Amino acid sequence: MKPSTLSYISKLLDNKGLKTINEDALKKFIAEEDIEEKVASILKTQDIIMDKWIIRSRIIDFQNQSIRISNGTVNTNYNYAFTPHFFSEKHITQFEFSDIDDLGLSFNKETNSIEGVPKKSGTFKLIILFKVAGESESTDFNRKEISFVINPDPKSLWKDIPSDKEAIFWKEDDKSSSGKLQEKSIIVSSKRGRSHKNVGSFRDDDFSFKSFENTGWSIVAVSDGAGSAPFSRKGSEIACDETVKYFEETILANKELESFENKINSFSETKEELLLEEAKIEAKKTMYKAVIHVHEKLQEIASNTFQENPNLFEGLNEINCIEHFHSTLVFSAFKKFEIGYVFLSFGVGDCPIGIVNKEQTSSSLLNWLDVGEFGGGTRFITQRDIFHSKERPMSSRFSIHVQNDFSYLFLMSDGVYDPKFEVEANLEKTNKWVDFIEDLKGNNEDNTTIDFDKPIEEVEEKLNTWMDFWSKGNHDDRTLAIIY
Amino acid sequence: MRRLPVYLLLDTSGSMMGEPIEAVKNGVQVMVSSLRQNPQAIETAFLSIITFDSVAKQIVPLTDLASFQVPDIKATGTTALGEALELVSSCINNEVTKTTTESKGDWKPLVFIMTDGVPTDNIQNGITAINKSRIAQIVACAAGNNADTSLLKTITESVVSLDTADGQSISKFFAWVTASIGVASTKVEESGKETSGMKELPPPPSELNIVL
Repeated sequence: MKPSTLSYISKLLDNKGLKTINEDALKKFIAEEDIEEKVASILKTQDIIMDKWIIRSRIIDFQNQSIRISNGTVNTNYNYAFTPHFFSEKHITQFEFSDIDDLGLSFNKETNSIEGVPKKSGTFKLIILFKVAGESESTDFNRKEISFVINPDPKSLWKDIPSDKEAIFWKEDDKSSSGKLQEKSIIVSSKRGRSHKNVGSFRDDDFSFKSFENTGWSIVAVSDGAGSAPFSRKGSEIACDETVKYFEETILANKELESFENKINSFSETKEELLLEEAKIEAKKTMYKAVIHVHEKLQEIASNTFQENPNLFEGLNEINCIEHFHSTLVFSAFKKFEIGYVFLSFGVGDCPIGIVNKEQTSSSLLNWLDVGEFGGGTRFITQRDIFHSKERPMSSRFSIHVQNDFSYLFLMSDGVYDPKFEVEANLEKTNKWVDFIEDLKGNNEDNTTIDFDKPIEEVEEKLNTWMDFWSKGNHDDRTLAIIY
Repeated sequence: MRRLPVYLLLDTSGSMMGEPIEAVKNGVQVMVSSLRQNPQAIETAFLSIITFDSVAKQIVPLTDLASFQVPDIKATGTTALGEALELVSSCINNEVTKTTTESKGDWKPLVFIMTDGVPTDNIQNGITAINKSRIAQIVACAAGNNADTSLLKTITESVVSLDTADGQSISKFFAWVTASIGVASTKVEESGKETSGMKELPPPPSELNIVL
């Protein structure tokens, strides 16, 4: 007789509260009633039950385990690797992710990872069908669900709603142009930012340029209308157009730069610094008149609009209605002289004018930017107080720059400057300008290459493509003028 | 990339057990999925969750919306709001990048506080700490009658209250937080400025009373 049979029966009787008479009587009972065989059968059944429970608890443990896998994004490579023994240490012998191919994903058994490029966004339940050690081939698979988030492709979330053509002061959503500026060429592209496309609002940036063959002068202007000003799209347009117009119809028509030019020419012979200083003062005075003119023109158009439609200017009056037209302005007028190119520049706001020498070994910023916390950020040509600010004197907004020759002259709005230069300090660094040129020439994520040797229409078209570069968090209107 | 950091300070004390805490969890879930559909928010808004019961814990560090995973939240213990305020200011110090001449830092953070009770710790040090932090805006929400709105007023000007801390009201609060984050992330991109007062946030729904 197996001792286990005897101990089993003793425990059984004990559990039932029955006293064993004596061991011999019990042994005799076991022998005569075939108890040994029956106990063996019970013990075997118990083992089967235990085995089954172990299997069941493995299933439950796995089903209850919280599994978090990283989120995916539509059209972006996805890979989530489980640790090498993730499934085996949980006694999982067979498993598959059902239906993940619908999402564009698959499970790689070798790397133990979910991989692929997600196709649709949303919150999904990934179903794992699995078997644990001990389960037979014929049993059904068990199920476990894991929550899985696929983000939409951020680019697909942006809508492209055309601006309302019936609206007052409507203008084209995108505009580009190219042409010759004497010996140089110019390409300009101005595009409505994604944040404006998304809500169907207008492009607030603008530009204008012109070359005057008979005088040798060229002028380029760029303006960025304030996002918070309802008619800044018109403000920026007037600012640019009036700059060019005044330069042509008043400054050049009246030969107001003649004395300046004479002094520059004398200077190139005599090298008398005083002459140059005098010339600079004269040029500033002339440009100042242009800036005053632009401001007054903006005031005039604002006041006229106010008189016609006072309901468009809630809380404003005939004078401060110009606030609805708030726009920045930069311009550079230039001409080739004996001593090199002379640039007369002006800036209010945060659009930089940068120039890079022929050898691309040095760069200069031709204006300073109204940025930073000081004084409440940017300034506009529409603000009267820029003309008599003590902190930022008007005269400091003008610059006269002389350079032998140049490879590129850039005027850009902050929609380009913010993503490409990030901070003001970088505009002072030649290497950043060289990087910028490399970027234009193809060193960029989209592999958009602008070949400046190609016919100008082609270059202009390429610039339009380049302007669509993606930059997280930078969705402002973009305007870039390149003179080369 | 300039991030817009958003800190949610959520009361997980014992009194939140049951419907309120489930509503909070659901509120966070719905908020995140909704913000993921907003092109500006998904690119700029970063979210962190700090819970406070007997202790304050940052259960999710500042995370972009695309990678954000909604944590499991349980209600238990007392209301250590003071500790939560100190914690959020140290998190802001560690996680939010400051602007230098070399690079533009993050936008100033938005902080949303939701509580259904009275703090069981001293909040004075917490108030001192957050006053020293660079924060664009703090909005506190008193959920139900047991929350002390005048005490919340000592933390921030912007206090709203819910008549009851039930699922419906709490979900309305989260819907408003969602809209506020959407507006703030659009505004920073559009105008380059952070929001600075309640009037710049979307109007709260009728369930939310503005505490004057």
